[in-house]
Amino acid sequence: MQYAFYIGCAAPVKALKYEISTRNLAKSLGIELVDIPEFSCCGFPVKSMDSFAALLMAARNLAIAEEKGMDIIGICTGCMAILSEAKEYLEDDNLRNRVNEKLKALGVKEYAGKVKVKHFARFLYEDYRLDRIKGKVAASLAPLKFGIHYGCHYMKPTHAHGCFDDPSTPSTIDDLINITGAKTINYPNKSLCCGLTIMGTAEDLSFKLAAEKLECLSSRGVDAMVLACPSCCIAYENNQRLIGKRVGKEFNLPVFYFTQVIGLAMGLSEEDLGFEFNRVKADRIREKLRY
Amino acid sequence: MYKFFDREKLKYCYQCGRCSSGCDINRIDRSFQPHRLLHLIGMGAFDKVLKSDSLWKCTTCFTCSERCPQGIRVTEILWIARTIAVKAGRIPELLVTQKDILLRTGRLIPMDNKKREKAGLAAIQEESSVVAEIFEIMEGEK
Ligand code: SF4
Ligand code: SF4
Repeated sequence: MQYAFYIGCAAPVKALKYEISTRNLAKSLGIELVDIPEFSCCGFPVKSMDSFAALLMAARNLAIAEEKGMDIIGICTGCMAILSEAKEYLEDDNLRNRVNEKLKALGVKEYAGKVKVKHFARFLYEDYRLDRIKGKVAASLAPLKFGIHYGCHYMKPTHAHGCFDDPSTPSTIDDLINITGAKTINYPNKSLCCGLTIMGTAEDLSFKLAAEKLECLSSRGVDAMVLACPSCCIAYENNQRLIGKRVGKEFNLPVFYFTQVIGLAMGLSEEDLGFEFNRVKADRIREKLRY
Repeated sequence: MYKFFDREKLKYCYQCGRCSSGCDINRIDRSFQPHRLLHLIGMGAFDKVLKSDSLWKCTTCFTCSERCPQGIRVTEILWIARTIAVKAGRIPELLVTQKDILLRTGRLIPMDNKKREKAGLAAIQEESSVVAEIFEIMEGEK
């Protein structure tokens, strides 16, 4: 089955390890992710400037996928939330008609409301299914312990995403990671936001939020934080040292994408999983797995 | 302009403060109070909302929306209030920069195909006029 791959604008520049590991994981699972050059920005950054323009942008992407007859799989939680919200808004006939009028001016066919939108992790959980992945696990990651960070927009707002995971005690990505044999912990800050969206307008608050989770997971002795969004990764990995300086701590917490962890268990090579791009190196993991 | 939020709905807000008490930004910065913002918006006191920096402290995490016993889409209202602030000329510097990049390149984060090539990834189109076209279409909309 073919899916329209919604890569977003952060992953292909800021999260190469996510893109590389996603492409290779999908390939070895037999999931065909088709690149769609016509896709544009999802609308997220525009929503603070002009809500209607943002909706139009999201609708244009939905319409393009629909015309190609493919459902959307994405890897950025923000993009997935904006596209899912737009889908919900466009259930309103009046609004959809108004939007479709404008889409015509953009040279895009009208949107009927048929296309499905799913984050890759959600797709693996709901559609591909855990037991099928389990059958492909070649090397158990049993010695490893992770703390999962979901990212707010992965399942919220639940009215737009369809309540597939519980925002206060999310479990779908834990379940995905657990099939590799690795343990995942429950921790008090699990549903805390990474704060990246306000880094440019309220940096102090943004860094304080991120520091809380970095501190919590560091103190719990996990081998890595595992996440599913390039923006969250910028907050916790790219900014880790800076945030540490700000709060007077030295963090040394490896950060991995869920795709890298599942791929590792399936026996994909470090190269195929983009490990070279992990800023806090995977030495501890290598030691524990003895390879 | 399509009305994304209906002030009528805000009448159902009984100011219980559950949105604020579950908000992590409120926890670390007590001056940020989503229920207060909603009260002001409900009363039509937009100027007071626009004058504070509060709108730009919300991370859009949606925790408040999920907690509201009245089903009020708190985050969405605060988010759309930003649009109103921006149209009233209260645009944070960051957004000026972001808008400029979006209009020029069609993306928020400029493409870096050299970096992609080094990593063995296919090139991606660096510039698109889609965002500019959409903003153009929106001109004249009220
Ligand atoms: S939780 Fe809902 S009802 Fe309570 S103050 Fe906030 S918006 Fe109003
Ligand atoms: S969406 Fe904004 S106001 Fe609501 S809980 Fe999150 S940070 Fe607070």
